[in-house]
Amino acid sequence: MFHWLNVAASRIHALFSRRRLDDDFDREVEAHLALIAEENMRRGLTPDEAYSDARRHFGSVTQVKESHRENRGVPQVDTVLRDLQYAARMLRKSPGFTLVAILTLALGIGVNTTLFTAFDAVALKPLPVKNPGNVVRMERWFASGSQGNGQYLFSYREYLDYRDHNRVFSSLIAASWLFTALAELPGENGAIPAGKLTGQLVSENYFSDLGINPILGRTFLPEENRTPGTHPVVVLSYPFWRVQCNRDPQILGKAIRLNDTTFTVVGVTDEQFIGTGNPPRIPDFWAPLMMQAQTVPGQDWLNDPGARWFQFFGRLNPGTGIKQAQAEMTVLTHQFEQAHVPADKTLAVTVERATFFGETNTLQFRLFIALLMLVVGMVLLIACANLANMLLARAANRHKEIAVRLALGASRSRLIRQLLTESVLLSLLGGTVGLLFSIWASRLLWVGIQQALQALMWMNVELVVRMTPDIRVFAYALAVSLITGILFGLAPALQSSKRDVSAALKEEGSALGQHIRKSRLRSFLLAGQVGVSMLLLVTAGLLVRGLIRSETADTGFETKKVFLVNVDLGSERAKAGALYKRVVERLETLPEVRCLTLAERPPMSGTWTPPVRVDSIEGRTLANHVSGSYFDTLGIAIVRGRTFTRLEGTRPEGEKQANVAVVSEAAAQKFWPSQDPIGKRAKLDMDFRGKWVEFEVIGVAKTVRSANLSRLDPSYFYLPTGSAQLNAILIRTDGDPKNAVTPVRTALAALDKDILPGLNMFSLEDGLVRKERLLAKTYAMFAVMLAVLALALAGVGIYGVMSYSVSQRTREIGIRMTLGATQAEVLKSVIVQGLLPVFNGVLLGLVGAAAVSTILKATLVFPGTSDMLFGVSVFDPLTFVGLSCFLGTVALIASAIPARRATRVDPTVALRWE
Amino acid sequence: MANAKSDVLQGTLDLMVLKTLDAMGGMHGYGIARRIEQVSEDVLRLNQGTIYAALLRLVQKGWIKSAWGVSESNRKAKFYSITRSGRKQLDTEAKNWARISSVIGRLLELSPRS
Repeated sequence: MFHWLNVAASRIHALFSRRRLDDDFDREVEAHLALIAEENMRRGLTPDEAYSDARRHFGSVTQVKESHRENRGVPQVDTVLRDLQYAARMLRKSPGFTLVAILTLALGIGVNTTLFTAFDAVALKPLPVKNPGNVVRMERWFASGSQGNGQYLFSYREYLDYRDHNRVFSSLIAASWLFTALAELPGENGAIPAGKLTGQLVSENYFSDLGINPILGRTFLPEENRTPGTHPVVVLSYPFWRVQCNRDPQILGKAIRLNDTTFTVVGVTDEQFIGTGNPPRIPDFWAPLMMQAQTVPGQDWLNDPGARWFQFFGRLNPGTGIKQAQAEMTVLTHQFEQAHVPADKTLAVTVERATFFGETNTLQFRLFIALLMLVVGMVLLIACANLANMLLARAANRHKEIAVRLALGASRSRLIRQLLTESVLLSLLGGTVGLLFSIWASRLLWVGIQQALQALMWMNVELVVRMTPDIRVFAYALAVSLITGILFGLAPALQSSKRDVSAALKEEGSALGQHIRKSRLRSFLLAGQVGVSMLLLVTAGLLVRGLIRSETADTGFETKKVFLVNVDLGSERAKAGALYKRVVERLETLPEVRCLTLAERPPMSGTWTPPVRVDSIEGRTLANHVSGSYFDTLGIAIVRGRTFTRLEGTRPEGEKQANVAVVSEAAAQKFWPSQDPIGKRAKLDMDFRGKWVEFEVIGVAKTVRSANLSRLDPSYFYLPTGSAQLNAILIRTDGDPKNAVTPVRTALAALDKDILPGLNMFSLEDGLVRKERLLAKTYAMFAVMLAVLALALAGVGIYGVMSYSVSQRTREIGIRMTLGATQAEVLKSVIVQGLLPVFNGVLLGLVGAAAVSTILKATLVFPGTSDMLFGVSVFDPLTFVGLSCFLGTVALIASAIPARRATRVDPTVALRWE
Repeated sequence: MANAKSDVLQGTLDLMVLKTLDAMGGMHGYGIARRIEQVSEDVLRLNQGTIYAALLRLVQKGWIKSAWGVSESNRKAKFYSITRSGRKQLDTEAKNWARISSVIGRLLELSPRS
């Protein structure tokens, strides 16, 4: 008894072959009539009589056809299809409107989808593992409130404890932080040095429980992770195998030397596996956790309960919720920390669905995304306002058609549905084009994000992120399109279907009567979109002004001749310390090096902003540990007092620190206005937890831009350091900076051949300062792109509304001109009326921009914040006034073209108009 | 009320069409309508157009199928024929009909209570 299935199938089939079935049935009915007539004629009737009798005998042909059609398909779907067909015909009839509408929507939806694609890639995409839905990453929350990557790190001792005692995970997986190891690869004629490779130590269940299959060989076996140091095997990552090993199919069983141990390659992962993220990087190789002492020599991660180097992933048991897992892991952590008391206790452990980036569920990140969504949402809003306006105008032109349909008995809801079908069809078309546009734009965006991330985090590494759109992106684009279609279509649909039938049929409404009420909604929409584009324009304008300044911004210290020398000294602390001392001594004696200094943080690479207390004044200041030669090396003048002596910098363990400080002029001005700061005392909270240390000011240095390029450091405390602390090394070269690199490399290679692979040096200008400028450029570029988009949309909107209102007023203008109005008067009246909402919009936008500026300015209270405007006043009159005028001009041009058309109206034609 | 009546009529017409096709083999719409009129000895004189609603229902249910063919008078017409599942359906329906009509017949023959 499945005949209802047959019925459904045949009805659905009928939906898609409407025309053919219609023809078919027409012919069938015709044949039927002919057959009756034939028989009638055989009975001796004339052809005419025969046919009219046939028709009588058959019944109403139209009714039979109609009912046949209705019962054949699915009526609801049939209506929608017919609506769609009708909508498509209407759109084809005005290709200009359709094209502009689709492009407008494509830009609006495209920009939004692009942002969502990025958000999806960063925060939503699951890891490339089997059943990623129940894989979670653990995060700890410290009693001190300290945040950052440290929250994701746990020790191996914790791993053993939690693995054996938890009841919420079907498996617990440990993966170490990425580290580097000096490597030699197998070559035809012996080993080839391969520099430093990136590695990751993993528990034996890493590959098996995450469901990652190798394309070559195998992954790790359980016995390879039982005893320390006994199984020197590695699994290679696909990119490493492809590039460095040239896809060597014979790679299995070959030997790779890592540090001083020979490892055997047992497998290669497949192309889809791009690591487990946070940060999203693929290591070159994976090694069993038990090989820690060989891959990271000199450290003991396996036995030290404080050696937190591992991220933990858990696969939730079926039926176990996130909350339950968090509660259990928190209890286990507390128990562990009772036995092994850490310096900073863990308050709680949370678990989050594992994605490529950590910290995407923090409030800050959400606020940031919300802000961006708001900005691009505004662009879409402008597009919507435009479309709504255009549709209102079109609806007004179609009122006769609509009135006829109403008069013929179409219900209002039926008409609204028809009109909404049109707008949704438009928005779906726009959404499709927008999606294509976003696929292209998100690649571009990713390049920008990558640059910004690298500049912010000072990472020279490539992050692996997949920006390819997935099901979520498609769903988002579809949802946005549908919402957009209803949003911009609803108001016009409601309004035009409300029309008074008799008035419309008499063609009275347009010239004088209903016109006023309708145009209020249009003016409001116009003012809104002008306001939003004004806001975006001013923001972009300020950022561009900042960008221009950033090109010429002077750091105040030498950047071209000063090089940052980065050396990777290995993981063994004692060895690294000794080597570091020798490196510093060797560099100091090089003839090319005029000056060398050590600093905890080089300029423009992160800040430390401890609370500071001077007498009763409290605040935050920038601070840094530097050696005495810092000021000489960077060319920062000491304007009063002196710098540190070498003795003040050396701080052998256990001995009391030399509590002296050099402060910047700005700091001196801030804390000791119109006093001599030398000999004054200030207290700094060294660990944000009340470890106050008092310093005596011994010198004052010129204020420079060292926290970031965007502004002079609001307040800076330099504290002494020496070569015992493994600081960053900065050297100042003599002569042409380009000639300094080779001697440094040669000298350091002579010191220890293993230094070279981990050495990189670049001048401050090429490295850090350029990144700052790049960042300014990235901000400004995105802002300008959005602003141009907004401006273009607003221009189109103004033009559309103006030309519509002029065409509506043709008759009125004709009357005026017959009564003696001059062309100039008409022009003025049209433009003034048209520009009033523009003027309101500009005012609205300026108020909004001022509000945004105020917020931007408020963030500068914090000494470490970078000023995206590079010192341009947030209420920069040039930007505010200039851009208002610019937008005004654009509006004027957009309205002048239709207004001129109005003045050319021939009164006699106008009066006869329609 | 009107619905209940047309439901009965619909079912009846469907059954008649099925039986006709079962007895006569492939026929076009006019032929079926004519045949039903003849068999009923013109008691049932229908608007022949209504036959098409029944034909559509039966085709949708898969009980009959259709194909274009040529009539005796060399005219192109659509020919309907009963399918296997249609025959099965006819069997059940016919039995139902016999049962119901006999029940109704007996009911109507009951003499009024004296």
